[in-house]
Amino acid sequence: MKFSSLNECTLPISDEDIVQAMKQIPGYLDITPSDFMEVYLVAFGQAMSRLKKAITADQIMTRTVITVTENASLMEVAKKMADNKISGLPVVKDDQTVTGVISEKDFLKRMNDDHAPSFMRVVLQCLETAGCIAANFKNLTAADIMSSPCITIQPHTPLMEIATLMDQKNINRVPVIDDRLKLVGIIARSDIVQTMC
Amino acid sequence: MLFFSKMKGGGQSPPGVGLSEIAWSWVGALLGIAPVAFLHYNLFSGDDFVYIIGSFGASAVLIYGAVRSPLAQPRNLVGGHIISAIIGVIAYKLFYPCPWFASSIAVATAIAAMHTTKTLHPPGGATALIAVIGSEKIHDLGFLYVLLPVGAGVLIMLVVALIVNNLATSRKYPEFWF
Repeated sequence: MKFSSLNECTLPISDEDIVQAMKQIPGYLDITPSDFMEVYLVAFGQAMSRLKKAITADQIMTRTVITVTENASLMEVAKKMADNKISGLPVVKDDQTVTGVISEKDFLKRMNDDHAPSFMRVVLQCLETAGCIAANFKNLTAADIMSSPCITIQPHTPLMEIATLMDQKNINRVPVIDDRLKLVGIIARSDIVQTMC
Repeated sequence: MLFFSKMKGGGQSPPGVGLSEIAWSWVGALLGIAPVAFLHYNLFSGDDFVYIIGSFGASAVLIYGAVRSPLAQPRNLVGGHIISAIIGVIAYKLFYPCPWFASSIAVATAIAAMHTTKTLHPPGGATALIAVIGSEKIHDLGFLYVLLPVGAGVLIMLVVALIVNNLATSRKYPEFWF
């Protein structure tokens, strides 16, 4: 299993923290500070593993999800993302089933002629040609640039699995769908970090 | 009633140790007590000196059986015994007409002194007590008791502990010197 910053939450506790704590507890504590540190780190790791398996998607997901429909214009999509200060959102059909995900990356990819997305390359082109490339987007819809099919999870998926999925697929959000494939919530990278740390 | 409710306990007791720990504790104690006892019984028996006292058995539990405990570290082992021996001899010399008082004040003061000097070592209490309850041979030693058997015996046991505990791959001794 690949471990990244999502899967590790180091709570920095120093030797000095331990000594101070021991001073505050009255009486003789028959353990050396370094032994306590050792027990603490192992116990903490164990607690993290336990929680990662116990906490499920439905406990941490955001239930009011901001979405767009497949035929929404890109301007509408951009406005929704800008107004809500989000970097991505799911694309849904009228029956609330998820067909794709649009993120800033998808916009950038299109603006870079499908090369590797780079904001600075877009700025460069804007500066060079004195006209912004996004102008030819006006006629496109969400369905045209969305990532599809997109990765989704079910409400009972444990935290550990979600974190690993985000690491491996390099995604920042995962829509949560029920067994009728309808959208019930969304989990962002920040939700994971907030829960674990 | 709060006084009695404090006796309820209720805390979690620590886990037991594995077979390897038990084995190394046994080996360490065997090799640690053997030289001191041998000195006492075979080499110098018959002279006026004492080479082994009961508190060495107690120290063996700590330095071979609970090597990570702060009570088992060299500073505690050596410092605790020496300080307690001195206090024990003083208590005997001052209060020998009243042995029960000498005993209690020896142990109590030894504990207070070990706490103060951060050398708390449970067998130290025994070393102080032995200085008072004797045998006569021990009484006759006076302050020499501090060096022999206490100082010498403790150093021999420490050397064995440094060797045996570090031979064990799962152990490391000491945790700290000072």
